[in-house]
Amino acid sequence: MQKLASYCGEGLFSSLGHHTEAYALPCKRSRINAPFVFNEEVFNKQKTTIEVLPDECLFEIFRRVDGNQERSSCASVSKRWLMLLSTIHKDEISQTSNQKSTIQDPGHLSRSLEGKKATDVRLAAIAVGTASRGGLGKLSIRGNNSTCGVTNFGLKAVAGGCSSLTGISLWNLSSVSDDGLVEIANECHNLEKLDLCKMSGISNKSLIAIADNCPNLTELSIESCPNIGDEGLQAIGQKCSNLKSVSLKNCPLLGDQGVASLLSSTSRSLTKLKLHGINISDVSVAVIGHYGLAITDLALTGLCKVTEKGFWVMGHGQGLQKLKLLTVNSCFGLTDVGVEAIGKGCPNLKQFSIHKCAFLSDNGFFSFAKSAVSLESLLLEECHRVTQCGIFSMLVNRDTKLKSLALKNCLGFKDLSFNGPSSRCNTLKTLSVNNCPGFGNGSLMLIGQLCPELQHVELTGLHGITDNGFTPLIESCEAGLVKVNISGCVNITDNTVCEITKLHGGTLEVLNLNGCRSVTDASMLSIASNCLLLNELDVSECAITDFGVSVLARAVQLNLNVLSLSGCRLVSDKCLMFLLKIGGSLVGLNIQNCHGISNSSVGQLVDRLWSCDILS
Amino acid sequence: MTSSKTIVLRSSDGATFEVDEAVALHSLMIKHRIETGGADSTTIDVPEVTGNTLSKVIEYCKKHVEAPNSDDLKSFDTDFVKVDQAVLCHLAKASYYMNIKGLLDLSSKTIADMFKGKTVEQIRETFHIKNDFTPEEEEELRKENSWNLFV
Repeated sequence: MQKLASYCGEGLFSSLGHHTEAYALPCKRSRINAPFVFNEEVFNKQKTTIEVLPDECLFEIFRRVDGNQERSSCASVSKRWLMLLSTIHKDEISQTSNQKSTIQDPGHLSRSLEGKKATDVRLAAIAVGTASRGGLGKLSIRGNNSTCGVTNFGLKAVAGGCSSLTGISLWNLSSVSDDGLVEIANECHNLEKLDLCKMSGISNKSLIAIADNCPNLTELSIESCPNIGDEGLQAIGQKCSNLKSVSLKNCPLLGDQGVASLLSSTSRSLTKLKLHGINISDVSVAVIGHYGLAITDLALTGLCKVTEKGFWVMGHGQGLQKLKLLTVNSCFGLTDVGVEAIGKGCPNLKQFSIHKCAFLSDNGFFSFAKSAVSLESLLLEECHRVTQCGIFSMLVNRDTKLKSLALKNCLGFKDLSFNGPSSRCNTLKTLSVNNCPGFGNGSLMLIGQLCPELQHVELTGLHGITDNGFTPLIESCEAGLVKVNISGCVNITDNTVCEITKLHGGTLEVLNLNGCRSVTDASMLSIASNCLLLNELDVSECAITDFGVSVLARAVQLNLNVLSLSGCRLVSDKCLMFLLKIGGSLVGLNIQNCHGISNSSVGQLVDRLWSCDILS
Repeated sequence: MTSSKTIVLRSSDGATFEVDEAVALHSLMIKHRIETGGADSTTIDVPEVTGNTLSKVIEYCKKHVEAPNSDDLKSFDTDFVKVDQAVLCHLAKASYYMNIKGLLDLSSKTIADMFKGKTVEQIRETFHIKNDFTPEEEEELRKENSWNLFV
């Protein structure tokens, strides 16, 4: 039998439930002179009951909260409740129906947080809320320089609640360090994609944890992370045998050791590799050439330490048999020797883009043309030592399969004098020449004769082109021109447009005459009479008047989707009714800087053409 | 009365309770204290629990030790927790510190069930909790919770 000796009251017994009355002897009780806790504390106690419980007790209560709605409601009560709830691991929740699976199904939900809204509170809410609604699959958090609302706590909450995570992307979160990411690695074994950008708090420790715990990692992207080094890369290479895509950019601690090790370990799985501004030397590039057995996409940018030898070894390594897309940008080491080696060593190369490789010259292309017979697309930008000879050697090669040729800012290109070519290039479909001041009529005429299958022609900013240059192209083209963009070719007149529309009206879909100031209503008449399939027309800054627009409106066979009259000073309010008529099929209309069109007309257009996006 | 040993438990406010050893051992914390305490362990301090709560805890332990298989154990438990919030919370805290699993389960689950069917505001009112979220944070939480209805 219990003895209630010298029992001091806690206050007003009678109000504390019927059980205690069994122990409370009548009135006398309250007279005992023992420390007597009076009104205030009782009052407070009645007000702060659950809040006085320590975290561990609250935790035990929350563990037993059944139902997602209840858990979400509890999470919204106060910060303390939210944070505690978010620390409950999924398997600590005692559920009535026990479906404890050791392998978590991949999550379906995705969440993206940016800037000020990227906070630990939000992450905790996500951790609590997504747990049983299919689970969180992808999480993207973009911080900014001024706020750092996301800390390791938030990541730990996500780790605990979202073990179904498949992809995580963290940008610019200065308060996040290894602790947070290691926790994610420890809990989210389904992780497939990891994307880190400007994460100064992350070091090798995180990558090693990821390597140890996430065997399904397929995509890795690390940019501007100053504390991630070779050791981390090595670990990933050794343990993640499913790694398919790697992108490394501007990480000062990464070098040959890490990259070479990664490449040799993931030889069988790696298909995409991008190295940008990484301090690697010829060694790593050689490793690519030998071990890149599965690589199909390769992009190398700003590799200042790679020399001619490196690219030569890469080409001759015989490893890049499956390479289809190659981009080399700002690598001084890419010279003729390298291009030749690549041509020989990559039998399946389909697309080659070369940007700002200053030492590349025609010789490289002469030999490349002979060996790279699989090439379908070539893009050359700012390679000033390459001239028209090198380029044309690619086209006149008998075995060429080249479908697309693009030249941008190639100052070495000089106009050829036209004399009839001896061969034809039946494969070229797309030609794009932008701002190569040397490309003039001679070159255009040659192309016209050489390539009868051209369908997409883009010649922009070429002041040397006149109507004469186009004639062979227009007349020899057998396939029928589909897209013609001659914006900025200021010396083109109505003659060219009329010829194009007359001979290719049956196939022409896109016509861009932006900045061709000599083009007048005569062109519009020709377009209206001859074009059957035209759906995009840009006559910005041309000498078009209301009459031209009216003619277009009367062409019943035309179903224009996009029309631009930007900067056409001669167009006025009179064309309003014509625009409305054309507007039936339009999804985009550009009438910026059409000073002749008043605001009220614009207003009417906006009102009536409600399915059209109008720029004014 | 059995001839078993008795233990004295002293609450935070100095109240003492004499209980059978078997009953006291229902609390794993006390069991541990006794086993590691040595010969002089007849009075055990329970500083985290007040007298009022301790007496209720002892009542629980008594019932569960002396009649663990009785049919009315379930109804005893149900009635046992028909107390108000304050007592319930103190019981939960006490059972946690004294490591009495059954009582911890019972009291925690009872409190957890009190959240059922209540809105956030109702929970705050019932338990007198202050809302310390900023309006932006509340908006974020609302968004997250409403997403969960559809996604």
